[in-house]
Amino acid sequence: MADRYPGYDVLAKRNSPSWNDQTRAVIDRRMALDPQHHAFFSDAEWPTMRAICDRIVPQPPNRLHPAPVAAMVDEKLHHNSGDGYRDARLPSMRDAWRRALAAIDAEATSRYGRRFHELGALLQDDLLKAIQSGEVDEKRWGDMPAKIFFEKRLLHDVVSAYYGHPAAWNEIGFGGPASPRGYVRMYFDRRDPWEAAEARPGREDKARAENARVG
Amino acid sequence: MKRPDAALDLAANAALVGAAVLLVLRPRLVARVVNSPLLPKTRDVAVAAARALVPAAPPPLPWHVSKARELSRLIAQYSPARLAAARELTKKAGRRLNGSAALLAFSVLADSAVEHYRGSFANRAMYTPLVTSALTLGGSLFGMADARPKKHSARDAIYAAAAATGLGGLCFHAYNILKRPGGLSWNNLFYAAPIGAPFALALAGLLGRGAERVRDVPPRQRPTVLGMPAGRTLAAVAAAGLAGTIGEAALLHFRGAFQNPAMVLPVTVPPVAAALLGAAVARPTLKANRLARWWLRITALLGLGGVGFHIFGVSRAMGGWRNWSQNLLNGPPLPAPPSFTGLALAGLAALSLMEDETDG
Repeated sequence: MADRYPGYDVLAKRNSPSWNDQTRAVIDRRMALDPQHHAFFSDAEWPTMRAICDRIVPQPPNRLHPAPVAAMVDEKLHHNSGDGYRDARLPSMRDAWRRALAAIDAEATSRYGRRFHELGALLQDDLLKAIQSGEVDEKRWGDMPAKIFFEKRLLHDVVSAYYGHPAAWNEIGFGGPASPRGYVRMYFDRRDPWEAAEARPGREDKARAENARVG
Repeated sequence: MKRPDAALDLAANAALVGAAVLLVLRPRLVARVVNSPLLPKTRDVAVAAARALVPAAPPPLPWHVSKARELSRLIAQYSPARLAAARELTKKAGRRLNGSAALLAFSVLADSAVEHYRGSFANRAMYTPLVTSALTLGGSLFGMADARPKKHSARDAIYAAAAATGLGGLCFHAYNILKRPGGLSWNNLFYAAPIGAPFALALAGLLGRGAERVRDVPPRQRPTVLGMPAGRTLAAVAAAGLAGTIGEAALLHFRGAFQNPAMVLPVTVPPVAAALLGAAVARPTLKANRLARWWLRITALLGLGGVGFHIFGVSRAMGGWRNWSQNLLNGPPLPAPPSFTGLALAGLAALSLMEDETDG
């Protein structure tokens, strides 16, 4: 797919009036995360978690700084910083993930004779689809409904981790944190000079030039 | 000299304290003494004193003397010196009106430049008020500097263009409000193109036209605007302009939830000034004029003070003045309050003209 925001880099705003010290500190910490670092997931669980993230939010192979999605979810679980709410049909956040990762690997082994991360992309997708529709062996999941876990825990945590990273912001033309400078042109189809410019088909050069000035 | 003073002071204070103590402890006694029929009533004393002080009415003058005085008054009224003074007054009033048009034009220039930049000049017509208000500002400054008691056709044309642009702008802004989803709703009145803003440019044009009329008066005539005495007409225009500006301040300060108590000032002080100016137009008396004059002066000061409050408002937003590229556009508009000053000064100039109109 063609880049809709050619040349846009949200990090160009780092030293502009858009960000202050607090904003810089938060984003720097997020950017410094080691993609292989895991404190909550065990070494056995880690490859499964990475493989799941790669299927839920696949990233272009040529991306210079891909979002370390699995490490971001791990950090959230390690600090046990919950959302303040959860679906009552699921156990607590940490328990749900531990039990689900074990169940997913067991499901993969019983169906295909290999662990989840050893499967090809197509088989991985098949298995994730089965979990999404609840067509799994209920013995392995216990009293936790696989369908609800997929919907309310797995998708929620993985996708929000991905869209909390500047790599995803660049992809969707999001301006990132608006602190302290927010936006002043707030009507439809208006753009502040510090917002990403979306390319109209055939006018990519114009958007690229405008995005070079974002800051 | 010092000692008797101190003694007197002590005695007076002791008497005061004694009276106060008596009032508190024995109020009935005090009341009985004060109301005693033996004491003269305060009112009677005052009336007697006034009668004694004011001299008795002079006996009527002989017929020939009173006629001679009447004649001398008429001669004085139409003397070259008196005419020159009247001419000087209208010229001065004209230049003052040029000044208030200048202030209004400056306000519009700065405000429309900032707000239309924020609107990304989405419509080409959004450049128009910048051009006309800049021309109006230049023409008005020229008018203030120009000592000739004459109207200037270029200035007059500029003012006409400003008035036309202001009225056109009202239509554009009304269209902008109505075309948005929701049409004429509070949300759109708050956040779409401000309906009151172009009004200021129209007023600058009208006051400027008035200034040119007032400057260009043939000898022995009183300035008129629209066939009516210039002072009264322009005072009415200034009063109506103040009412409109109050309306805009009320709308936007309501949007701001009057979060600072000072935000109440522009919806309390100028309305009094506008009402007094209107009253002076309806029934011009020296007393009404003087009262209106004082409230207009306060309004003029308030317009300047408002800039200070708005500067403070910008500094209070997140990031303060260091985040000016956000807060200058999103915060309280710095150029808006001087509109009150411009209109109040116009009202004052119009009152001067009115006084000249009434006392002859």
